[in-house]
Amino acid sequence: MSKQKSWLERNTFHHGAFWDLIKLVEEKEKKGLKISLCIPTLNEEKTIGKEVLILRSELMERYPLVDEFAVIDSGSKDKTLEVAANYGADVYLASDILPEVGDKRGKGENLWKAIHQLKGDIICYVDADISNIHPRFVYGLVAPLIHREEITYVKAFYDRPLNYSSGLRPSGGGRVTEILIRPLFALFYPELSNIIQPLSGEYAARREVLEKIPFPIGYGVETSHLLDLYELYGLETFAQTDLDRRVHRNQTTNALGKMSFGILQTFFNRLHSQGKLDKMPDLETFYRRFEVEDGNYSQLIQEVVEEERPPMIQIEGYLNRSLST
Amino acid sequence: MPIEQIDSDTFLHGLLNDISGRIEQIRQKRDSFLTDAVLLGEIPSPTFGEGDRIRTVVDRFRENGLDNPLVDEFGNASAQLPGTVGESSILIMAHADSVFSPDVRHEIQVGSDFMTGPGIADNAIGLAAMISLPRLLSDLGIQLRDNLILVANSKSLGRANMEGARGFLETMSLPAKAGICVEGSTLGRLSYSGLGTLRGEITLQVPSDYDWKRFGAAGAISHLTGLINKIREIPIPKEPKTQIVFGGLKCGSSYNTSPRQGTLRFEITSEGDEVIGQMEDNLNEICEQFSAETGTLVNMEVVAKRKNCGIPFTHPLVKTTRTIMQEAGITPQVDPSTGDLNALILGGLPAVTLGLTTVENLREVNETVHLEPLYAGMAQLITLIEAIDQGICEV
Repeated sequence: MSKQKSWLERNTFHHGAFWDLIKLVEEKEKKGLKISLCIPTLNEEKTIGKEVLILRSELMERYPLVDEFAVIDSGSKDKTLEVAANYGADVYLASDILPEVGDKRGKGENLWKAIHQLKGDIICYVDADISNIHPRFVYGLVAPLIHREEITYVKAFYDRPLNYSSGLRPSGGGRVTEILIRPLFALFYPELSNIIQPLSGEYAARREVLEKIPFPIGYGVETSHLLDLYELYGLETFAQTDLDRRVHRNQTTNALGKMSFGILQTFFNRLHSQGKLDKMPDLETFYRRFEVEDGNYSQLIQEVVEEERPPMIQIEGYLNRSLST
Repeated sequence: MPIEQIDSDTFLHGLLNDISGRIEQIRQKRDSFLTDAVLLGEIPSPTFGEGDRIRTVVDRFRENGLDNPLVDEFGNASAQLPGTVGESSILIMAHADSVFSPDVRHEIQVGSDFMTGPGIADNAIGLAAMISLPRLLSDLGIQLRDNLILVANSKSLGRANMEGARGFLETMSLPAKAGICVEGSTLGRLSYSGLGTLRGEITLQVPSDYDWKRFGAAGAISHLTGLINKIREIPIPKEPKTQIVFGGLKCGSSYNTSPRQGTLRFEITSEGDEVIGQMEDNLNEICEQFSAETGTLVNMEVVAKRKNCGIPFTHPLVKTTRTIMQEAGITPQVDPSTGDLNALILGGLPAVTLGLTTVENLREVNETVHLEPLYAGMAQLITLIEAIDQGICEV
């Protein structure tokens, strides 16, 4: 337990720690790193213009942190590509990249093909639907990779959740995170419960780890990254950064059901390939979630034992009960 | 023609010859000021609550390497770009407050040729243009002899009555030789005079002991309607030009209950200060009489009052501005100001207000600025600064 707490303390950052972009660029240049930024898109004309404008202007022109900025598109029918190109992004159709391997439709496909198309030592992925885009969404994620060589993969987390009268605030992810992923991780990969928002669509990673893992093309890509890199390198190479508030589209419950279905496929494939389905381990009884107090995150571990009663028909007292008629 | 005049004309001619090239250069360098417009526009900044936006402006001044970035006692952010000679200064001011409350979602959408969102035109884009001037001047290879004083002023709109701008002018340490107020709306706007203005609120209350059985008894809405009709009977002179605008009416919250209180907001503008004085007297009399006749409590509060002011149409600053606009393909539309320009002119500074681009849905949540005309708008601003710097705009 102490190892987990120590990881949480050492590898959880707040974007505010990296506000000095001049220093960050200096450090990046000293280490000879190149950084590529990739936005996967499908019909995002309403938000893509602002994302490209702000991130390119602030992180390429004002502070040269990002060396390459690409939008990789799945075949948008709206003006996504026109708007992105207008504000200076390199625009690619996923189907044009590595055409010999064919074309599959999904966000994971674009992320995977970005590894081939982009040149950076670090690739930062940012979703296209963030309506309150800010440079912190990029520098907050790449900074731990610039500063700490042992870190290879940095996840974003967001939102200071609601205050309780006690002053403690439970750390909330999305609905799928809270009712699907967190319980699954607590049962099968308790250490990964340290990742506060395992499904966040913003993360940065070193090429050397991205090129070694498979990419589900659909909803399971974020989950598979965590499971595969955890299996290869353990928890120590992960980090996570608090990016404060993220405003994005709200999804319908139906859409979340479909998403959960995709994630479960990815999850059970991993359980199967890692031998966890055939040789089912004893299930954990500790449920892990987060609380934050004075800006410090800590894990809250609760024992949840689902005790069971046998069928009533096996109970002697039930069988011998006197029935009044 | 005096030699000095020839030099000025020659210099202005040189500036104007280059204006279409300059518009193109600004288009190439647009990203940083469009970015500032979005980042600033997404920070709510209601009048009297501009603190967050002002802090971001000061950070930007600091990042841009300006001298003395600070927030003053009036809540204004200011900084200076030192000139190569630095004997005199030019004041550039853009108001930081907006008419939108923080409850409104401040989200700016960026399209290929437009930006849309609450307050983007009034005045996030003007603010961003002012902030980006040092960087743009440097990109365009322009070195000013004069210092440039940049100010994002707080408390400009409505009840605030230009408190920020007036405060800055009163305490300004570097005397300026001219000033420009920068507004997003609307390209072609040329203000060089401030209209005499009186803004007020009339509050009508139905007292708790009101006799609901009396003849003509009514709730606050009916009474306010009657009061408005009385005010509309005040004769409005054609000369000097005068108008009264009813800008807000707050009263009631249900379908079937007569409200007991309501507030009417109005603004009188006139080219004649004495007319404003007479109308204020008239309004006071109407309120008093209406109160006595209806048994309601009627109170008028003047929240802002300012005199007519201006510089002549023939002033070199105005003349040069018109010439620059025309060369940039902009049709000047003379429009007396009721905003910060008054504070500058009343503070003794020759000044104009310029608009930067064409705008739709002004002061609505879907306020939209067009980007293509913005580059000409920025070119007129920068060229005018250069002209002032060269002494062309002085009497």
